[in-house]
Amino acid sequence: MISQTVLGNEAIAIGIIENGCRVVTAYPGTPSSEILAGVIKHKKRLERDVYTEWSINEKVAFEIALAASWTGLRAAVAMKQVGLNVASDPLFSAAYTGVRGGFVIICADDPGPHSSQTEQDSRLMALVAKVPVFDPSTPAEAREMVKDAFTLSELYKIPVILRPTTRLCHAVQSLIIDGDHSSDDGIPSVKFQRDPPRWTATPKFRNLLHIELNKKLIDIADEFSDSSLNYIVEADGAGKVGIIASGVAFHTTQQALHELGVRVPILKIGTPFPLPQKLVNSFCAQFETLIVLEEPDACIEMQIQDRNHVKGRLELHGSVPGAGELTPEVVFSILSKTLSEAGYKVNPSPEDVELATLIKGLPLPVKPPRLCPGCSHRSAFFAMKRTFGSNAIYPGDIGCYTLGTNLRAVDTFVDMGASITMANGFFQANRLVKDERPVVATIGDSTFLHSGVAPLINAVHTGARFVLLILDNHTTAMTGFQPTAANDYLADRTEAPRKVSIPDLVRACGVEYVNIADPYDQEDFIRILKEAQAHAQSPDGGVAVLIAERPCTLYDQSPILEYPIPVVITEECDGCRYCTEAFECPALVLRPDKSRVDVNYSVCVDCGQCIDACHKGFIVPKLLEISPS
Amino acid sequence: MDIKLIITGNGGQGIVFLTRLFAQTAVALGHSVMVSETHGMSQRGGSVISYLKINGDEAPLIQRGTADFMIALDSNEAVRNLGLLRREGIVFVNADNGLLPEVEPHLERLNIKVMNLPASSLAFEIGSSSIANIIMAGFVVAHPALGIPMEKMTATVEKASTRNSELNLKALETGYQAGMKIFSA
Repeated sequence: MISQTVLGNEAIAIGIIENGCRVVTAYPGTPSSEILAGVIKHKKRLERDVYTEWSINEKVAFEIALAASWTGLRAAVAMKQVGLNVASDPLFSAAYTGVRGGFVIICADDPGPHSSQTEQDSRLMALVAKVPVFDPSTPAEAREMVKDAFTLSELYKIPVILRPTTRLCHAVQSLIIDGDHSSDDGIPSVKFQRDPPRWTATPKFRNLLHIELNKKLIDIADEFSDSSLNYIVEADGAGKVGIIASGVAFHTTQQALHELGVRVPILKIGTPFPLPQKLVNSFCAQFETLIVLEEPDACIEMQIQDRNHVKGRLELHGSVPGAGELTPEVVFSILSKTLSEAGYKVNPSPEDVELATLIKGLPLPVKPPRLCPGCSHRSAFFAMKRTFGSNAIYPGDIGCYTLGTNLRAVDTFVDMGASITMANGFFQANRLVKDERPVVATIGDSTFLHSGVAPLINAVHTGARFVLLILDNHTTAMTGFQPTAANDYLADRTEAPRKVSIPDLVRACGVEYVNIADPYDQEDFIRILKEAQAHAQSPDGGVAVLIAERPCTLYDQSPILEYPIPVVITEECDGCRYCTEAFECPALVLRPDKSRVDVNYSVCVDCGQCIDACHKGFIVPKLLEISPS
Repeated sequence: MDIKLIITGNGGQGIVFLTRLFAQTAVALGHSVMVSETHGMSQRGGSVISYLKINGDEAPLIQRGTADFMIALDSNEAVRNLGLLRREGIVFVNADNGLLPEVEPHLERLNIKVMNLPASSLAFEIGSSSIANIIMAGFVVAHPALGIPMEKMTATVEKASTRNSELNLKALETGYQAGMKIFSA
């Protein structure tokens, strides 16, 4: 048996497939996006009959998988932490009703955060919804925990959350993929069976279900106290201090203790809710000081019954920071301080302070993420700014095009779909405060389908007036090119039975002004933007929708243009920086002495869009360059 | 073999691919690996960093001051992340003239060596600016300190190349030859 390198998300996918799961749904979101792709890869490898889909949003994904579980099949749903907010309605309800086939929710948290609007802790969501949660520390453990999660879910007829974090999802570990896990018993003979007091429980029955749920949790907490998922390492490292750690922080803690040169007992918690109280209480009783290291919030710490000697995230201005990732340096510094205060002799930090201080002071260029060269979103934003300037309000949304904030063409973003509702709200508030600035909102194709349709209907029905640009690049680009309902293929690349037309959908929402344009044609695009704004402002107008259509350059490998337009920047360029700031293409590079801008041809895609970005006319098509002969 | 390796650069330079090459080669040699990659927003041109532990612990990140080697596809990213290296560590950097002169006295004091290769220029010469990462792979493998045999890396590159296999192997060889020349001098 040969080991292979496996991404954390793929390890979870392998766990899903090898444990006989039959229905897997997901909506993409960093850091969870590779889970469903892994499921599809390994269902093909093992020739398993598994239904997979990229659902339109997390609530839809959750309920489709839940129905499969109520039929009696094993089912799983994957999403990122803020996706669970969208799916929280069915989560809370399903905790009461319970499940039939094992039902596992994989919800990836993002301590930091690296790619999210919040640092919320899904383990706390599990606590509030009253469902058990598993907290794996490595890809290998995550794969094994999928099995434990299905077993627990079926034993107690309860949904179970598996909660990895970014560093686990995007870790790659050497694993043996083939092995004892690969047997397939075929599709079980199950059918959905009516059970009104459960599946259609009215409030009276809901109360009984709540009592039943509470009892399940007490039994599960007892079971967890004896579970091999919770264990003590370095038990003989006796002393005044003990550590409770979970998730990735468990291994980071061991690494830091190694660097510090000390041995301290660690209680490793794999099941943060319900907390195995018996085990935790007996561990805590042995020490004068307890350090709790968990991410991103204080799920374990909050449940510890006697917190008088506990140092953790909940302490205000304490040794463990209340927000942010527990990086190796953060953990090292927490342990170094706490352990030396308790009289342990610890090694100094291995980092060279002098060098660190010097580097901090160096003027190293900061490279924030930017839209790719040739990205049509940039052209759409640039046209918007040329049309409406700074005197407009630009509600934005979630996707690559959130980077429009660099171009000052995105003023707000809240959550999926909020561009439309915020535009609606700004319109109504502006009417009251007599602010007449145009409101121009942007949303991507996948985000529009995810959460934009209901807000659009609301805006139309209540008579809001604003311009909405649907930036349709034919894919979910930010998360790795997952198909949307507007694509003609499905998650496994088979043909979609039907594709949804975004223009038809917009018209069906009651929008009277709908237009489609290619943002690469700047002149035409600006003309249509003005027309859309005129409609929004006319006495009998309303929401005007412009669909900016051009495929993502990263996704669509066909040539960017039938006739590419290579450009040159003429000798006259004076380094005024207008193009590098207002257009911000990575291929336009200001010289270190700021004297002029050059084209970085190794990343330039010859889209020619920057010709409009120099209002002085110094960026010109290469063919027109007059060479001195 | 017990190695902590940092691989850094900018989004779009193939950092994730380069990291996987080293991880897969280590696994082919029978070692265990733990890697941490950057995905998502940063891949759109921002700073990207990978951490690779061969036969190390299971924490995905490497603590500052403890990494053995760094491969940098961008010299500014090399300087930004220098603090991750331990004393006597080695930096392999894709640059024309090494690192910023300001850090030199500290590198000398900490006995950190800088191995410089203009991989982007070499990549452009042999046909594609996008293969500087593979040139760097060849360059690093040529150094005796890592203990990774060239034939194993070649096999990994061959297996990992879904297209342009020939060009990728040429890039690997170019980096390797350049390294052999520099390191044997």
